[in-house]
Amino acid sequence: MALQLYLGYAIASLVATQLMKTNRSMNLVALSHVLACIALAAYSLNIGPAHYYDKNFLIDTLSVYEIFITGTIFFFAIIYAGGHAERLIDLGLMDKKNLKPYYLSLNCLLMFTVLSFASNNLALFWIFVELTTFFTAFLIAILNSKKNVDASLKYIFVTSTAMLFSFTGLILLFALSESATGKGTLNWDELLANAHSFPPVFLTAAFAFTFIGFAAKSGVAPFHTPLPHAYSKAPSAVSTIVSAVMLNLGMTGILRIYAIIKQTSAGPAASNLLIAFGLLSLFIATLSMLHQRNVKKLIAFSSTEHSGLMLIGIAIGTPIAIFWVLFHMLAHALIKAVLFLSTGIIQRQYNTNNAGKIINIFKMQPLAGTGLILGSAAILGMPPFILFLSKFSILTQVAAYSIPLLFVMLLFLLIAAAAFTNLLSEIFSHTEEVKMERYNAPKRMTAPIVILLVLIFVLGIYVPNDLYVFLTKVVSDLKF
Amino acid sequence: MISAALAYSITQALLVLVLITGAFIVTRKDLLSLVSTYQMQSLLLAGIALTLYSVEESPMLLSLAALTLISKVLVIPYIIKKIQKQINIPRDVEFHYISPIASIFITIFLILIVYGAFTNILKDLALSSLFYLGAVFGISLTLMGMLITFSRKKVITKIIGYLTMENGVLLFSLFITELPFIIEVLILVDLFMIVLLATILAIGMDSSIEAFQERFQHLHIEDLQEKLHLHRKHGGAN
Repeated sequence: MALQLYLGYAIASLVATQLMKTNRSMNLVALSHVLACIALAAYSLNIGPAHYYDKNFLIDTLSVYEIFITGTIFFFAIIYAGGHAERLIDLGLMDKKNLKPYYLSLNCLLMFTVLSFASNNLALFWIFVELTTFFTAFLIAILNSKKNVDASLKYIFVTSTAMLFSFTGLILLFALSESATGKGTLNWDELLANAHSFPPVFLTAAFAFTFIGFAAKSGVAPFHTPLPHAYSKAPSAVSTIVSAVMLNLGMTGILRIYAIIKQTSAGPAASNLLIAFGLLSLFIATLSMLHQRNVKKLIAFSSTEHSGLMLIGIAIGTPIAIFWVLFHMLAHALIKAVLFLSTGIIQRQYNTNNAGKIINIFKMQPLAGTGLILGSAAILGMPPFILFLSKFSILTQVAAYSIPLLFVMLLFLLIAAAAFTNLLSEIFSHTEEVKMERYNAPKRMTAPIVILLVLIFVLGIYVPNDLYVFLTKVVSDLKF
Repeated sequence: MISAALAYSITQALLVLVLITGAFIVTRKDLLSLVSTYQMQSLLLAGIALTLYSVEESPMLLSLAALTLISKVLVIPYIIKKIQKQINIPRDVEFHYISPIASIFITIFLILIVYGAFTNILKDLALSSLFYLGAVFGISLTLMGMLITFSRKKVITKIIGYLTMENGVLLFSLFITELPFIIEVLILVDLFMIVLLATILAIGMDSSIEAFQERFQHLHIEDLQEKLHLHRKHGGAN
């Protein structure tokens, strides 16, 4: 019943948003929708996951985990969006009449993300992921700028084109299960149970096709091209959601499909494919980061870098590696939220993302400046922040798998660190006086940054034992 | 009812025609004829589904043909033509990276690669030669659509490319397996939404209408930056 109740609430909040008039009331409705999503995760955890809602929907441990991360990120992003939208309207960057579509799309995006995580059927997963693409594209285009429309169209075409290849993969998978078991199916659980009887060459082809779409969704190179534009043009709350939640959505798809193919003799081929794309992502992302002067684009490329890291973690495929990839999804999402929300305030202060034009940041925007510097340290994997644990552990697993691979990865990660240091030192060295009115960001925009900073610090030094136990269960449920 | 052998030869002929429409779309500049070609291509697909129905008599194929006819031959082209009138650009002369002749060669090359690659993959399915041909043509059409999506500049042409890709996927699924009807409907819903959003956004991008340009220009971020810059300069002078 829980999923149906959630769905009912989501639809009710859409109707309520349609009836509301002010920013504050629409924001509150969206926030209550987020709480309903977190409640769904908490309830499912409580009754013990692997809960079926007819055979097409299943909330298992992985779904609970992902829905929980989604809820957390949306929670902060929507609180922030309340203050941010007002500023965008004041500046004339957003049309006042677009406020309602903005909140409606945020609600729809959350609803379809939750539904994708709760889908047991691959075709359903596919359509929900496509719907998230639709609403993401809409949210990117919501500002009154031709560049936003351009970024949005690029996002639609690259992601949807890639997703059509995924669909081709699904057709192959369906045909495969039909010829192997006599009855065609696209349900995760049935595919996972029958994986051993699938012919390997055919399965590899299906995997490769399906991978393309989900890779585009999670910003894996070479499908990452629209993301830097999209992230830098979209409102910061939207960039946060796309970078933190949509990336996880794609990764979850890849993880589930890989869990299936891992059971067969085609496992090593798929693993090599993932490593190749992982390395390519690291290579392209870090080199693009090096000469980057736009803060938001730098952070966007860093998402591609982390996708690469996670892909390699999945490819190694030991239970420990998968455990830390899952942990990395949480860590990456939280830190990306800090970074994008901070740059959102900086962008509204200086009306630019260009490092050269951000002057005297500690005087103008001390909190956003702190968020940017601590967030950057955290995303590079420095202790004592949360990402250090997962990055270090994934690299340890890589070391056990192949030393040359480790060295290549370390080289790329070093380049990424250099890129961040380079840009930050430029921003923080502009300390001359500026005659500019200080933008007083409302508490709704600053509080999420503070709370997230505390969170990534605390989780870096103390990881609750329950989380360890839970993630171990997720890994074993995926049959790794 | 026609005999199976005749139905299969008709299907074969239709398949070749579909591929020709694909090649036509890859090379054409005239936007209106692009839409008409897409319409023709979808009609051919509906024809293939009908011909297969006459042999296999699966109701799924019949509903698929009807669905294709309504959505892709009538509704979607109608929407695009309407938007095209609004944008008022008759030709897409900007080929992004490759010339029409080069695209034809790339297309032929793509078909050969797909043919080679699928020999290995599809052998487990034990398809008959016609079904194998259909699957290969489907993937080739998908790749041709992708070629259009990424080599043209105008959004409307990109949309036609995306639609062609989707037709390729439909063709592929027709010959590989019988998907549940609901999945075919879902992909169509997706197609509608993406096309609608992209065409609406295209008005902003492709438009030659002054008003749109002005509106977008007026609210450009760059303008704000410039104002800010001036403001700063002003402050400095004081």
